[in-house]
Parts: sequence; C-alpha cells; structure tokens
Amino acid sequence: MTDPVTPKTLPPHHLPPLKQIGKPLRRVDALGKAVGATQYAADFTMPGMLHAKVLRSPIASGKIVRLDVARARALSGVACVLTGADLPDAKLGTDMPGQSGRAARTGSDAPVLATDVVRFHGEPIALVAAETLEIAEAALQLIDLQLEPTPGVFCPEQGLMPGAPNVFGTDNAVASYKIRKGDVEKGMAQADLVIENTFFVPFVEHAYLEPEAGVAWVDEQGTITIRVCTQVIEHFRTVAKALGVPQNKVRVMGTMVGGGFGGKEDVTVEIFLALLARATRRPVKLVYTREESFLATSKRHPFKITHKTGVKRTGRITAAEITMLADSGAYPYLTPYVLLYATGMAAGPYKIDNVKIDSVAAATNQPFTSAFRGFGGPQAAFAYESQMDEVAKALLMDPLELRRVNYLKTGDTTVTGQAIRSAAWSEECATRALAALGEKTPDTPDRKVGRGFASYFQSYGRIMWFHDTSRAWVGMELDGTVIVRCGVPDIGAGQSNSLCQIAAEVLGVPLERVSIYSTDSALTPLAGTSTATRQLYMSGNAVLQAAGVVRASLVKKAAEMLGVSPEDVDLADGEASVVRSPGSGAARASSSPSGLGGGMPLADVAARCASSGLPLAHLAQFNAPFTEGLDPETGRGDIWPDFTFGAQAVEVAVDTETGEVEILKSAACHDVGRAINPAAARGQIAGGSHQGLGYALMEEYVVKDGMTQTPSLSEYLIPTAVDFPSTEAILLESGTGVGPFGAKGIGEPSLTPAAPAVANAIADALGVRIFSLPLTREKVLAAADAGKNVVKPDRHW
Amino acid sequence: MTLPKFDLLQPSTLGEALEILSTTQNAQPIAGGTALLVEMRGRKAEPGVLVDLGRLGDLHGVAPAANELVIGATTTIAELLKNPHVTERASILRDACSTFASPLVRNRATIGGNVAQGSPAGDMAPALLVLDASIELRSVRGKRLVRAVDFWKGPRKTTRKSDEMVVSIRIPLSQTPWLSSWKKLGLRKADAISVASAAVRLSLTADGKCEGARVAVGAVAPTPLRLAKSENALVGKPISREAIAQAAAAAAASSVPINDVRASVDYRRRVVEVLVRRALMEAAWEVLT
Ligand SMILES: Cc1cc2nc3c(=O)[nH]c(=O)nc-3n(C[C@H](O)[C@H](O)[C@H](O)COP(=O)(O)OP(=O)(O)OC[C@H]3O[C@@H](n4cnc5c(N)ncnc54)[C@H](O)[C@@H]3O)c2cc1C
Repeated sequence: MTDPVTPKTLPPHHLPPLKQIGKPLRRVDALGKAVGATQYAADFTMPGMLHAKVLRSPIASGKIVRLDVARARALSGVACVLTGADLPDAKLGTDMPGQSGRAARTGSDAPVLATDVVRFHGEPIALVAAETLEIAEAALQLIDLQLEPTPGVFCPEQGLMPGAPNVFGTDNAVASYKIRKGDVEKGMAQADLVIENTFFVPFVEHAYLEPEAGVAWVDEQGTITIRVCTQVIEHFRTVAKALGVPQNKVRVMGTMVGGGFGGKEDVTVEIFLALLARATRRPVKLVYTREESFLATSKRHPFKITHKTGVKRTGRITAAEITMLADSGAYPYLTPYVLLYATGMAAGPYKIDNVKIDSVAAATNQPFTSAFRGFGGPQAAFAYESQMDEVAKALLMDPLELRRVNYLKTGDTTVTGQAIRSAAWSEECATRALAALGEKTPDTPDRKVGRGFASYFQSYGRIMWFHDTSRAWVGMELDGTVIVRCGVPDIGAGQSNSLCQIAAEVLGVPLERVSIYSTDSALTPLAGTSTATRQLYMSGNAVLQAAGVVRASLVKKAAEMLGVSPEDVDLADGEASVVRSPGSGAARASSSPSGLGGGMPLADVAARCASSGLPLAHLAQFNAPFTEGLDPETGRGDIWPDFTFGAQAVEVAVDTETGEVEILKSAACHDVGRAINPAAARGQIAGGSHQGLGYALMEEYVVKDGMTQTPSLSEYLIPTAVDFPSTEAILLESGTGVGPFGAKGIGEPSLTPAAPAVANAIADALGVRIFSLPLTREKVLAAADAGKNVVKPDRHW
Repeated sequence: MTLPKFDLLQPSTLGEALEILSTTQNAQPIAGGTALLVEMRGRKAEPGVLVDLGRLGDLHGVAPAANELVIGATTTIAELLKNPHVTERASILRDACSTFASPLVRNRATIGGNVAQGSPAGDMAPALLVLDASIELRSVRGKRLVRAVDFWKGPRKTTRKSDEMVVSIRIPLSQTPWLSSWKKLGLRKADAISVASAAVRLSLTADGKCEGARVAVGAVAPTPLRLAKSENALVGKPISREAIAQAAAAAAASSVPINDVRASVDYRRRVVEVLVRRALMEAAWEVLT
C-alpha cells in the first residue's frame, strides 16, 4: 500500500506520424445516431407489408404429437402459416458462418422449424404472416400444438453419461479437443507445489439494445431481399441453402446494428422472413420481442473448468493440466469453434512447457450456445486468472510477481506451439493498470476493500484455417471526395468509421470527405463477418490496399503536374504537394492559389487522372495467412493470426454484511497495436469493461430443467450506467499488430479481464475465493462469513 | 406481445371517473402505467377499459396543511423528489423516492399507483407506514380513510374495492422532531426491485431516550410490514446499540420472505436485519456517538 506499483517502461518502439489515424475524430456514424436519423432494422416498413410471428416450443424436450394449423390459416387477415411439413428439407447450417465455404461438420444443421421433436424451450415450430401484428398473435393462439414431454438432458455431465438421452445426432459430445505439449507428468514431478481448482461460469444473454428484426421482400427480378440487423451478411448463402434457391437470388441488406456481441452472428430472423416473403410474395416484417430475443437466440457457454498447476517455489510454472466442459445446448451452432478458442486460450498468457488440455462440449436440452464477445476467451480467463491468484496465495507470493515469472514474451510459444510474433506487453499493461488505481481506499468496519487484476491474451482475426478473406473498394470522385464500398456490417463498434479513417489517411483527405457504403451483399464487396475482432484487421487491410492503388494514380499524376518525381509528392489535407524526400533536391512547391496549404487540390489531380485514363478506383482483396488446423492428437498448430495482450485492475469494497460489491476504481490497459481512432478504442474498452463487470457481478441466464427462469430484463439484470464507475482506459501502441498501421484488435479483448479481476479483488478483500460467476451478493456474503478469521497476505499494491 | 385490446376513457372530473369505475365492468384506473402496462403486456392483467387519471387536476400535487401533508395520488415520484414540503416534512418519503427505479420511470410512476399496486416490494409503503400515513379512497358510495397499516392485504391485494380510487395520501405532521432513515437493497443501483428495504423513524429525547419508534420493512413478507416487536424493543428505553440490535433481530424474526430468482429466503431474512439495524443506527447516530 505504501509502495504502489511503478509502471514498467515500454520497450523501445517507433510509430510513424500520421494525419488521420490516431486522432479521436468524430465518427462518421455519430451524427445520424445522435439525431435519431439512423434507420435500424425495425424502423423500416414497406407498403402492403405483412407482420410475422413465430410459434415456439413451451417445453424443453418432447415429441410433437399434433400440429394443426387449419384454424390459424382460416383466420381472417392471416396470409400464410408455415410448419416444418411445408418445408421438409429446410435446414439451418449452424456451422461456419459466412464466407469460408468449408464442409460443415456432419449433423450440425438445425431444422428451420421443428417437425417431430423439440429440443429446447423456445424452439421454433410454426410461422405466421398476417395483415397486422395483432392478427398474427391471435393466429398463434389458434394453432393446435400438442407435445408429449420426453426425458431431457439438463446438464452437460449428464449428457455425457452412458444411457443419457440423445439430444441431437448420434451422441451428445458435440466437439472435443486435446492439447499435448511437453510432458505434463514430468512437469508435475518437477513442481514444488501442485494446486488444483475447479471453476464455473453460467449462461449469459447478449442483451443488446436492439432485438432481432428484419423486413424481407421478393424484388422484381425474383431476388429474395432481406433487410436485417446482422453481423454476417454472407448468411445470404445460408438462406439460399435453406430455401433451395441459387445464392445469387438472395440478397441481405444489413442495417446499422444496435449491438451484436455475437448474438447476431448466427441466423436469426432471416430464413423465417425469406420463407414467408417467398410464400406470400409480399413484404414481411418480423421483430422479436425482448422475451423472444431471450428465448430464441444463443447464449454464452457455461463452462466447468479445472486447473491443476505445478509450480516451483520460485513461481515458475512447470506444468498445467486443464479440463474444460462446455454446455452446447440443443444445437451445435458455433460451439465447436468457441470450444477451440477456449481450449487454445485455456492456459492464459503464460509460457508453460508441459501442458495437457482436454476439452469437450456436450449437448443438452437447454438454450443453444454460440458466439459471445470473447468467444470462449472470457470463460477461460476467469479460470486461469483466478487460478494464478490461488497459486500466488499458495506460494505466499505477490500475484504480479508470480505472473512476471511466467508471462509469454515475443518468440515464446503458446500451448499449441504457435510462436508469439507481435509485442507481448503483459507486464507493462498489468503494472500500468495497477498503478492507475492510485492510493488504496481504507477499510471501514463493514466494508472491506480489496484489489485484484487480471492479465489475458486473446486472438483477433479468425482461425487461419478458415482461410479468411475480405474485400473493399475505394474510389475518388472528381471533386476529391472519397467513397469506400465494403460489405462490413457496422455493429456499433465503429467498424465503418475506421475504414474511412484509413482511406482518409492513405488518400490525404480529411475524414469528412470520405463516405462509406456498407453491409449489402449485392452492392458492396463481401468483407466477411463482423465477428472475431476481425474487421479492422481484415477489411482495414483491404481498404489499405485498395486506397494504396488509388493513391498511386494520384501521386503519379500529381508528380507529372508538379514536375517532380513521384517520391517527392505527398497527399495531405486534400492536396498534393511537394515534399523533400531524403536525398532529393526538390524544393517545396511554390504556393498555388487554390490550395489550402500551398499544394494542388486533389480534385484537380483526380480530374486529370480521369481524363488521362488513370484508374481512380480499386477493388482489393486481403487474404489472411492460410494455415492448416490443429493436429487432432497433440493440438499443435499455428492457427491464430495474432494476439492482443492487456490487463485490467479493479478496487472493490465488499459489504461483509450484505455481500454487496462496489467497484471503487477500475483501470484497463491494452496494447491495441495502433489506435486508429483512440476515442472509438476507448469506447470499446469502456463498453467491454462494463459488460465484463456485469458478467462478474450480476449476469446469469438461469435455466432450470431446461426452462428459462429469467425471461425478461426484469429478472435478467444487466448493469446500468450508474452501477460501475467508468474504467480508465490506457492505450498502449506497440505498432506490431497484423492490422493496418500495426493495429491489433480490441473489440472482444476489452471484455475478457474484467470478471477475473473482480473475482481476485473480492478474494483479496475477504481472504476467501469464489469459484463461480456471477459473484452474487449471496455468494459474496457466504465468502465473507467464511473469511471472518482469515489472515490476509500483505501486498504492496 | 402487443397489448390486449382495451378502451381508453379520459374523464376530466373525479366524479366522472368514479362514475365510470362504478358502472363499467372490468374497468381499471391507469396513472403512470409503469406497473399496469407491464402486466397487460404479459397478460397478467386484461382490463377492458382503462380510466386515465391524467386529466384529474384534483388528484395531482402536494398540498401542505397545518397538521398534515396531502399528496395527490397522481403526483409522480420525480415530483415528490423535488418537492420542498416533502423534503422538509416527510424526508423519509423523499429518501425512498431517491432510490426508486430510474429517472425515466420516476417521471411517470405515481405514488397512488405504487400504493394501489400492492406489491410487497413497493418502495413507498415502508416510508408511508412509518409516517403513520393514511390512504384516502373515494367512490360514488363515498369516501373513507384507511390507515396504511390496514391497507395492504397480500401480494397485489389491498383493501381498495374495484370501484374505489386512491385520491390522496395523508401524512400527519408531528410537532416534535423525528429522526428517520431509509435503506433499500436491490440487485443493482438503479431500476432494481427491492430484495429488502427498511424505513425507520425515531423520536428521541435530548438525553437519548426513545419516546417513539416506527419500523417498517418491504419485500420480506406478502405485504409491507410495520414491525411492532422491533418498535417495542426500542420505545421507553435509552437508545443503544443493544436495543437497536434487538429491534433488528426482531425484524428478521418477523419476516416471512419468499425464495425467488432474485434472492433466497435466508438471504432476505439476513439482510433485512442488517438494513433495520443500519437504518436505526443512522437515525440515532448523533445520539449514539
Ligand atoms: C423499470 C421499472 C422499475 C421500477 N422500479 C421500481 C422501484 O424501484 N420501486 C417500486 O416501488 N416500484 C418500481 N417499479 C414499479 C412501478 O413503477 C411502481 O409501482 C409505480 O409507482 C406504479 O405507479 P404508476 O403510476 O405507474 O401505476 P400504474 O401502472 O398506472 O398502476 C398500477 C396499479 O395501480 C392502479 N392505480 C393506479 N393509480 C390508481 C389510483 N389513483 N387509484 C386506484 N388505483 C390506481 C392501477 O389500476 C394498477 O392496478 C418499477 C417499474 C419499472 C417498469
């Protein structure tokens, strides 16, 4: 307490100065949102539009013994009722969204509508389209649905037991992975101490502001067009497959998305809308209610994670043996990949030579689980960072000191044997986050103050054996303004803005002169999913390439016009001007009357390019490195493009009589590689941290015997603006990422360290650890009781 | 879900409103709608006719009289929060308003709606109980004044008949100064339903003797409770930590909470004791230290 942590000096690094990049410029999407002009998916209507509703299973596991829609069809104002019988082959490919096109895992399709059995509470059974929403709701009531409950699987352990009912496919093990590095038995034998703990995390709901919504119609060319909020416009392919139509006859027009967090990575309303629009030949709208959004869409995976850690007295970890069991819910969706990420991140940002990891995901008759900001990373981090503090406690060692001994450095290999190629500034991030907490707040009789921090590493960009690609088109108009066309769905994180800022930088124009058209599968080049913290990396690089080609034309023409060589031309502030390149004799251009800063307006250069046939637009494709998958026996492989490193530190006050936890201070430090727009990067950290603190302290989607116990925002609590103080964001810029200008990714990573930091702070305050999320008042109170007589170790921070 | 079908009537006089309530089947008053609309959407209430109270000027506002404060039923929580008479003469009610929901909801929710709703977790009730408030009911049959302690009968059950309206809340003003404190525990800092709450008022002599005590709790029984046992542990004795601890223990013993997704029986019973103790400690702080 008297000797606070001193921030660690950064290793020497160099970032070139830039004009548009690195500035907290006003985002291109800000004004429309601020004045309410942005049209979200549910804001859209069309003449003659029908309204849709979905009939959903009221039970978690059962047989459909009767499904009679005759009365619903007969209701006046009902245009269409569809059941599984009307679309015998319609399957929703729940695997591998988007553009990769690899073969799906066998059996990983979900029926679009359940036909003979239902596997989870909320599973869709029938669709109605009617003249009004009221009529559609009334029609649902007229459907005669009789179900016969069947025994279900309500926890993954039960699902893996011999004789358990089969939820789906031939067995309940949806996916499993093995990682073997070194010799774990030898490593354990070398250890002075072996510490074993088991951790649990719950189902979590995305709870974005905007529930799923869309409008679909069939256009005059017979193309099924779906205007929808989605993270993946490439689902036009999933829709085409489900409907059995050619892929070029389905168009997805994405909208600005009111929050995605992975919940809009899978198909939501698209196939239902397409089926109804095709059947009725009229526009159809479907907007989920909040309760339906809860029931119908994916959740973050519950995990049970056991860590057995062998460690020397010095703190050096000699071996890690980790098992993970995840709940996949009723259908696989992205479970196999979430589990893979969790497995790859399971040991944390530590260099460990002897590792054995076994992970498995099991099917249950519970809500299906899929992508959620962090994609398995937050679950893994809660376990490994809680475990690190427990190891430190057992060694009577400072938690920061223990981590210092073990942090991965550039060149070290992860558990899969992949070498870290970029900066790995874990220690720098942790010391800065801790130092930012300042003076420690003193205890009061019923309020114990504790501090904790968590480090993490997390991949950004998709797994490389998905063979990920992105495309972007950049063009300059004849007045010197710029257009970017890129299929990127903007899910509110500033995806489109970053692309504009990159184009502005490369073409030397102010951001206000750049416009973007995005997220339309027919009109904007496909950019892949807004998931996996990949858009800045992938589409940013595509824009960089495309803009680079346009820049080359402009520079060439400007050089001609200015009578200098191209190396001596710079584009900035909307002008081309002469700069003295090292070793050249060219002087600065004499001031031109029309230029702002004494250069030649880019409009003039663009006009001359156009008249001389030099291209002013370019479509570029960026390919991530393509590698193979992990070795199935050893889990060895080089599968992630790169990793973000960072840490978050919090100070909490624990009310030892009520179990209430107040976050007093919170600071997060991340090496973002390069902050394209620092205000947007800070925004991601503020939001990610708040969401992560909610994961820590209150969020739990409670399911009992397959039935949802938290059906609305009245029972499922997410943090409000006043629940936590804002997290101080400390941005480090190593410039070593694989994104444009050395950027790494921050969208998902910003959430990951919050929950373990809070768990560690509570354990520090009470001297007793809680092994499961969320850290509810009741659990904290029990820990406080247990901690009454515990003597806490001294710590200097 | 869309709302169930209903007709909306907007009477402009109290008489008209009472007439409608007495003659119309399945009619229900609507004030802020922050409780009723949620129930209607969930099909927990399906009134055929909604009687909007928004145009009844007589029902709105805070009127200070010499010996009582009269609060119109449609006065919003936000209005109570900034009303100087409430702050000065019924500060515990103001405190209860300050932890109520969120600014958005406070701007619509009314005190009459909160009282009539009859939720065991309603945040106005404990304050009104310790203020010895009465609820004024009117119908075409006449008017009656029901003491707060007699008003709530069970979860969403009150003594109000379906043709009656809550027209005002009457808070008597005492000549002697009382000390008060309000404690609410929810699962987050805003828009949280009380898991337990406690309101206390104490009248202490200069030398610290407790001449009067009121203790009430919310969310730990089928109705809000005024706790005679807790009060008896205090009245007539010098205020002390021991007496306060006894009063708090009596509160836990009198509680009959439920288990639900928000909290367990044990937790509610345990924290209500803490809340009552802390509220009493806070109210008596200057005397105790
Ligand atoms: C997000 C949210 C947060 C909330 N937080 C809290 C909280 O912190 N604390 C709390 O106590 N409550 C809370 N509530 C519940 C609700 O807001 C309150 O109970 C509120 O005071 C109800 O008042 P109202 O004017 O909106 O009532 P309404 O919804 O209009 O009516 C409620 C009931 O009372 C009847 N009624 C209304 N006025 C009269 C009258 N004058 N005479 C007779 N009957 C009448 C109606 O018929 C109905 O049955 C919350 C609700 C929401 C949606």
